[in-house]
Amino acid sequence: MRAPLGLLRLLAARGWGRPPRRCLGAMARYGTEQRGRPHSPDYRLYFKNPEGKYISPFHDIPLFAGSKEDKEIPAKRSKTTGSEVLFNMIVEVPRWTNAKMEIATEEPLNPIKQDIKKGKLRYVANIFPHKGYIWNYGALPQTWEDPSHTDEITGCCGDNDPVDVCEIGSKIRSSGEIVQVKVLGVLALIDEGETDWKIIAISVDDPEAQKIHDIDDVRKHKPGYLEATVDWFRSYKVPDGKPENQFAFNGEFKDKDFAVEIIKSTHEYWKALLHKKADGGTIKCTNVLVGGSPFCCGEEDARSIVQSAPVPVNGDSVSQEDDAWHFFPK
Amino acid sequence: MAGYSVEERAAPHSLEYRLFFKDGQGQYISPFHDIPIYADGAENVFNMVVEVPRWTNAKMEIATKDPLNPIKQDVKKGKLRYVANVFPHKGYIWNYGAIPQTWEDPGHKDENTGCCGDNDPIDVCEIGSKVCSRGEVIKVKVLGTLALIDEGETDWKIIAINIEDPEADNYNDINDVRRMKPGYLEATVDWFRRYKVPDGKPENQFAFNGEFKGKDFAVNVIKSTHEHWKALIAKKTDGGEINWHHHVKLPTQSHLKKGAVGFRGSTACPRVQLPLLWELGSEQQLAQNQLTSGSITRKTKAERWMVKQLCSSHQEATTCSNRKIASLSARRPCL
Repeated sequence: MRAPLGLLRLLAARGWGRPPRRCLGAMARYGTEQRGRPHSPDYRLYFKNPEGKYISPFHDIPLFAGSKEDKEIPAKRSKTTGSEVLFNMIVEVPRWTNAKMEIATEEPLNPIKQDIKKGKLRYVANIFPHKGYIWNYGALPQTWEDPSHTDEITGCCGDNDPVDVCEIGSKIRSSGEIVQVKVLGVLALIDEGETDWKIIAISVDDPEAQKIHDIDDVRKHKPGYLEATVDWFRSYKVPDGKPENQFAFNGEFKDKDFAVEIIKSTHEYWKALLHKKADGGTIKCTNVLVGGSPFCCGEEDARSIVQSAPVPVNGDSVSQEDDAWHFFPK
Repeated sequence: MAGYSVEERAAPHSLEYRLFFKDGQGQYISPFHDIPIYADGAENVFNMVVEVPRWTNAKMEIATKDPLNPIKQDVKKGKLRYVANVFPHKGYIWNYGAIPQTWEDPGHKDENTGCCGDNDPIDVCEIGSKVCSRGEVIKVKVLGTLALIDEGETDWKIIAINIEDPEADNYNDINDVRRMKPGYLEATVDWFRRYKVPDGKPENQFAFNGEFKGKDFAVNVIKSTHEHWKALIAKKTDGGEINWHHHVKLPTQSHLKKGAVGFRGSTACPRVQLPLLWELGSEQQLAQNQLTSGSITRKTKAERWMVKQLCSSHQEATTCSNRKIASLSARRPCL
């Protein structure tokens, strides 16, 4: 994504050349604003773009990092050229934490909030030997798993959410962080009977990113991680009384090219949603930057949405988290 | 055993951080020497001092060489020590700590491991579901033990469960752990084998091929380390730099030298409600000198300074100092 023109002019005036693209990475551009109190039902994390405008992380952050917003995925590139397609990832849950934070698809401007089930704040169980989520977990913006579409591979309908990402880098990210990632592969989870693709990706800034380009590299450099991932998704809802989850392809991971195809198709579903060609049900498509969308709203409307949320309060509420480690028979 | 509390000094995760212990009367005590080894009740129920809460990484430990043995963070090569996350594990995989009034004597070669003791109280891995707090004193049922040889030293790891765990009644021996928490014992061996490898150390070894011994064996191991501790305290054994100072006294010059063996607490001497301060700066040194001089006026001033260090806020210092000074002046500390 090109830097704002004003910034470039300022840098030029000060004698700086155009910084390399990565220095103007996503993190330098987006901000967040907390509302309510952390770990309470009224907590919300709204997003802002570099100009300080409130935006929707679901709709207004470009799926493709480092390129023009409406550019198609480039034609297949050879590994030797070193150029890879990069995506923006919205981090919802930092590695090793339990609070189920997610983009609120049914609220205008789609802030991050903590999921609530049966009237209580939701925390995922600790599934031995794992502690909380075992990757930085989040979503790809501008993607949508359409529930009215039966996926030909899984045989199930979409789960009505953006596509999920497991970021496997060594740094623990924060909720609300936007990270540029390269896609490595995908797992075809069928979560409670709905299609729920899990993209495996790594931050471009990770120290090992230069060595990891595809799903086999993950096997090589992080042995056991993919097996742990399947194990986690299979069992993580069992302590809540749900059955084990299923997978397509026998729980095998598909490679990067396959994953990119999945992302492309969920991007098309999202485009249809934003242009009212698909029925989103209760999904809120309010956005600020999607040209031609009938759901586009102005800056003032966006600001009043945020300001009508509860005032921000510092400090956590007393944690409702369950420390127990859940063991399963071997 | 209700009533133990802790008092923090300096910020957590700093070199200066210390966690002091107090008994039910608010007296400063040593978690190494002053907390009884046995909790009241059954023969296999012991007190445990929690040093590292489950899933954390900071290597916190009882400072055996410091007066009053507070908990502090281990330092290696000048840096605060954190154990690595060895996949699939996150930090320590149990609440980790020590049994008080035990000591693995480095002068004694263990017949099982063939190695000398690691000069520390005996270590405990508490496997209950609650994540305990640093400095918590809990009662645990001993279930078994693992014979780790950590960098060539005997380093028994007692496996135990908090008696307040909701499932505690179902755990009576090591096989119960195997049955109800499958994979946990294997993960424990795996953890101890590999946890120092990211720091460039080799894998650790075990006696008995890494097999766990049962409750009776574990209780005997604990008892023998208790005997070693008793001998240490009775000065029958050379404790090297171990500081067995307990039942607080006002510091003497010798205490201020690092590594010096502190003098023994004598129950004949009255106790004073002040922590020992080591690594004192010049201001503290002045206060110290004033204290030993015998002058009442200067002693009161010095004591007031000491109390101020004790209290966490100026307000508290102001309100409590008068009371404390009164009680201090009434005593004649042994020097």
